[in-house]
Amino acid sequence: MGLLKKNGSLNEKEILDALSSINDPDLKQDVVSLGSVNNLKIDTGKVSLTIKLTNPACLVKDQIKIEAENAVKKLNGVTNVSVSIDFEVTSQGSGNTPNLIPNVRNTIAVASGKGGVGKSTVAANLASALMKCGAKVGLMDADVYGPSIPTLMGDSQKPQITENRIIPPVIHNVKMISMGYFLPKEEAVIWRGPMLHKMIQQFLGEVEWGDLDYLVIDLPPGTGDIQLSLCQTIPLTGAVIVSTPQDLALKVASKAIAMFKKLNTPILGLVENMSFYLCSHCGKRDDIFGHGGTQNASQELKLPFLGEIPLSTEIRRNSDDGYPTALTENPYSTAFQSIANSVASQISITNYRASNIPSIEISN
Amino acid sequence: MMNQPLEIIPTSIKLSADGGVTIQWTDLHMATYPYAYLRRHCPCAMCRDNPPVVKTSPDPFPILGKNPNPIKTTGATPVGRYAIQFQWNDGHSEGIYSYAYLREICPCADCQKSNSTG
Repeated sequence: MGLLKKNGSLNEKEILDALSSINDPDLKQDVVSLGSVNNLKIDTGKVSLTIKLTNPACLVKDQIKIEAENAVKKLNGVTNVSVSIDFEVTSQGSGNTPNLIPNVRNTIAVASGKGGVGKSTVAANLASALMKCGAKVGLMDADVYGPSIPTLMGDSQKPQITENRIIPPVIHNVKMISMGYFLPKEEAVIWRGPMLHKMIQQFLGEVEWGDLDYLVIDLPPGTGDIQLSLCQTIPLTGAVIVSTPQDLALKVASKAIAMFKKLNTPILGLVENMSFYLCSHCGKRDDIFGHGGTQNASQELKLPFLGEIPLSTEIRRNSDDGYPTALTENPYSTAFQSIANSVASQISITNYRASNIPSIEISN
Repeated sequence: MMNQPLEIIPTSIKLSADGGVTIQWTDLHMATYPYAYLRRHCPCAMCRDNPPVVKTSPDPFPILGKNPNPIKTTGATPVGRYAIQFQWNDGHSEGIYSYAYLREICPCADCQKSNSTG
């Protein structure tokens, strides 16, 4: 974008100057200095360009398009403007050391302290919502004890195994792997640490994930072997903590947060699930587990609050039917969409800050 | 809210041929850890219970099958985002050195002084 081409009365610099008033909504810096403006074409009065954002779930895409068009329209000599909005998900890289999953740009662990707060539901819907925005998404069920991802996403296919590689089934356009695929329904996993560690390594390294913008990882509750193995095996982009509003759940959630902090894994933020109940008969709102507890906790812990999901029969029914609510058009899907937007936005911010993976140099 | 304070972690870790491991930190602190010092401080359960015997000079009478060379690393791999694992020429590689631990045992004069007084 360095060369200034004179093109009639319009030049690139004028247009870029006009666009420099527009900020990327996540990175809070103008789109010109970020290098987000691409394919700028000037054809005597007709201007076309692309703005590349780093967040596919951006809710203000249309607003940026209009702002950019208006800014350029104001210039003398412009008769026609067309701005298209595109996205390219950034990644943090892995320093100079080989990575187990080189083509996966971001890994998101969905965790909680307490069980039964809806981690898997949040993970399945987060993956679906990111996919719906056009991102390439994978979903890894690391909960070996209670693998629920196949039920939540609908388990029609099984993974194919070819020459030591596992080809993950693709359901609702999301690549998936789960222990549930490898175990008869009535069997249970009764494993010690080393077996769990091996499973994590295989699920990451031996599954053909291919090129992914986001790999969402559903963890079992707690701070045990699986969580530790995952944090040791790959440099996670970040963790999303799910909690219900009640004190009990929040107290245990803070243990999970402490673990990720100790392992230097960024916390992308907190999600409040079962936030409130809207009665389907009278429409009255009931705060069964209290309300806003997670938001207060995230303020106290100085962590981003990613959003709240109500307790609803509809979400429960979609989950049991294997059709994530995020893919539907009902009002609850916007709750998941907005959480996906916040998560993607936090990832853009984390990746924009300097990489915090040291380089290792060996000269002996 | 958006800017969680980042932990102090290394920005670069250099393994040199004979000196030791030089670590530069995000707060611009820098120090070289002699290989023998680092090997003696191996945090694995085995070495904690039975501190390893570390060779610092070449063996004048090498016995067949034993490594006659002074201790040094043969490689290093990062462990997630929080630690590094060194491979040693005595065959050991179990210790996971967390960045926090490495900073705690920093051998530079300033850190040693503040450790002994504080």
